[in-house]
Amino acid sequence: MSNAGSEAMGGELGDGNRRNFLIKVTSVVGGAGVAAACVPFVASMNPSTDVLAKAETEVDLTGIPAGGVRTVAWQGKPVFIVHRTPEQIQSVSTTANTLDPEPDEKRVQRPEWLVVLGVCTHMGCVPNKEGLGWTCHCHGSQYDDSGRITRGPAPKNLEVPPYYFAADNKIIIGKTA
Amino acid sequence: MKTLIKILLLCSISLGAWANEEAALDKVILETDVKSVERGADAMIGACHACHSMKYVHYRDLLTYGMDKQKVDGWRGDQPLDSAVMAQMSESDAAASFGKAPPDLSLMVKAREGGANYLYSYLLGYYMTKEGVPGNHYYPETKMPDVLNVSSIAEGASHSEVQAQARDIVSFLAWVADPHEQERLRLGYYVMAYLLVLTVMLYFVKKQVWSNLK
Amino acid sequence: MPGRIIEWIDQRFPLTSFVKHDLTGYPTPRNISYWWNFGFLAGIVLVMQVATGIFLAMHYKADIAMSFDSIQHIMRDVNYGWLLRYMHAVGASAFFFVIFVHMARTLYYGSYRAPRELMWWTGQGLLLLLMATAFMGYLLPWGQMSFWGATVITNLFRATPFFGDQVVIWLRGDYTVGDATLTRFFSLHYLMPFVIFGAVFIHLIALHTVKSSNPSGINLADKDNIPFHPYFTAKDLYGLGIFLIVYSVFVFFIPDSLIEPANNIPANPMQTPNHIVPEWYFLPFYAILRSVPNMVGGVLAMGLSVMIFAFMPYLDRSRIPGGARYRPIYKLQFYLFIVDMFVLGWVGYVPPTSQTIVIGQIATLCYFASFFFVPFISKMEEGWLLKKGLPAEVTALIEKETQDKEERKLKRLRG
Repeated sequence: MSNAGSEAMGGELGDGNRRNFLIKVTSVVGGAGVAAACVPFVASMNPSTDVLAKAETEVDLTGIPAGGVRTVAWQGKPVFIVHRTPEQIQSVSTTANTLDPEPDEKRVQRPEWLVVLGVCTHMGCVPNKEGLGWTCHCHGSQYDDSGRITRGPAPKNLEVPPYYFAADNKIIIGKTA
Repeated sequence: MKTLIKILLLCSISLGAWANEEAALDKVILETDVKSVERGADAMIGACHACHSMKYVHYRDLLTYGMDKQKVDGWRGDQPLDSAVMAQMSESDAAASFGKAPPDLSLMVKAREGGANYLYSYLLGYYMTKEGVPGNHYYPETKMPDVLNVSSIAEGASHSEVQAQARDIVSFLAWVADPHEQERLRLGYYVMAYLLVLTVMLYFVKKQVWSNLK
Repeated sequence: MPGRIIEWIDQRFPLTSFVKHDLTGYPTPRNISYWWNFGFLAGIVLVMQVATGIFLAMHYKADIAMSFDSIQHIMRDVNYGWLLRYMHAVGASAFFFVIFVHMARTLYYGSYRAPRELMWWTGQGLLLLLMATAFMGYLLPWGQMSFWGATVITNLFRATPFFGDQVVIWLRGDYTVGDATLTRFFSLHYLMPFVIFGAVFIHLIALHTVKSSNPSGINLADKDNIPFHPYFTAKDLYGLGIFLIVYSVFVFFIPDSLIEPANNIPANPMQTPNHIVPEWYFLPFYAILRSVPNMVGGVLAMGLSVMIFAFMPYLDRSRIPGGARYRPIYKLQFYLFIVDMFVLGWVGYVPPTSQTIVIGQIATLCYFASFFFVPFISKMEEGWLLKKGLPAEVTALIEKETQDKEERKLKRLRG
């Protein structure tokens, strides 16, 4: 009973090699099909097109006065947009007192507009704007007007999301130009 | 046994003849290329969407499909790309003017027996009744006005312009009802080819495996 | 290394012996035809439905305000959502097609007869579970047909004696089919397939006890059994290829052929569509329901029409072994029954007219007559065939079975 079975699978007999080759190739082709069939299932878990549409947020900058801050939602997270005054820009011109030194010029595309993610790099709370910079009331972290960390426990500066100026008064958050 | 099969076949053929007694539909050959569908979208958004919404289509879908960005921006005005194509008239106003809320058109091609052929025939099916108001051969109770002005075409004059307009509109609506159709057919051809090859191989594997049996 | 791991497992779990005994080395009659592929196909469709169903459930919203929209979201926005949806919808029809062929094979070849009665009854249970799952699943898109189909069928429970109205309200969770109904149908629709998995497991345990029947209906000698692997693994995979081709034609090229146009319209409790029609696999039973002018009678007839299959092992009194192969009258009965099912299906589909109602009533009578007359016809046929003369092995088997019965009777009387 089991003899017939093992002979069928054997590669040692006469044209067993040809048999084996056909079975091997068929198995590979079949396996490729099964793998390909998994793709739609896995892909369906990726963000759908309506979610991806929210991946970019358009912000109209008119109406934010000098010194003013606007918070907008981008991919479900808050983004702080600050129309900085010359004093604010001056206050962040050095990297002294910052725990994660990074020149302000590297963090902005135009000095009078700061665009940073309003998510504290410690545990993810949303910091409050207080005077010059922000304070996070969860554990006391402080950031300056460039969004750089000046007092811990947060380790890193506020993240700068990708954005570009579609016009002088309009930015698109979500991708670089 | 053979006679039984013959009887069954005869029954099924005669069934077909018995079933359909409604007005025969005009057949339409749909356009599936972007340009034609875009013309249909123009007509829809220019005229139809005054009353009809297409709430499952968003302006960004029109862009992804390949329609001209300036056209899409013109259609949406200051509504964000993400918004659905809603009717200009509110549903209650439309119901008040026509007696019935105009239905959403997102799935209309699928929601009617006869699909695209039915919609095409319906749009062209207006005629001038004795009372001097337009009626429709395919849906006599309709409250929708004769948007293509079919009923006022003179006897013997050419219908080709309204037919082209109706074809564009229905082509667009067919895309709206099934935006992934082209992708589905393309994937289908690949899947069929693959399965045919694999099944032939599996056939030979089966034959070889069984050839061992004494 | 893999050998060592398997050894380690084998000391603690019957892995190798199970695989040898019940999978690869499992003895299978060598002469079973392609009609025996359909059990395997049913298992595959079950797995496909669960897979597509689980991924659809990641996006579906079971709330009457959102369900229709969530289906459109799946069809339009979710990556390959349209594919998952069409696979699941076509898969439901594929499941019933495969099961009906599987049942037809069992009836034709007499595979329901002793000692396989439990297989037939577990199969009957599986059919009921499948019908319940499909019925509940159909409500989920919340289209016009979904809503009104569920309304009509839940209304039937009004036939329950004494508590009819309360039963209907309890089932629905509301006075009409509504949000409460939708959420509980979703919950149960998600659950049932796993109950089906369990019942399949029991069905297979029964199978491995009595082993497969074969087209001759006569128990083959041991030498005529061959190992399941590689013979039937190869044959099953080939059959699967053919099945997937037909399945893919539907999924990729004509997926909407199985979706009623009215179900593309959101459910409207204020307006019934002109033509309420269940999915094709329920049509014959729906026709039987409508054939009886009395509501309770109709419900009873419909219920009986599904359950009556269970009686076949006892209705069939012939001692001729197996099924239609050596029994020409049984064969004719079988084919007439199939024709009758098609007639009933058509009656269930078309809008009722005075003609179709009469045809439906005749077909319903034929349906039940097919079962009621089996005991008499089987006995008469046996007498006729024995007089005519049967092939040697068939006569030998009948004699042996009679002897066995006598011996067992004597044993019972003695001890």
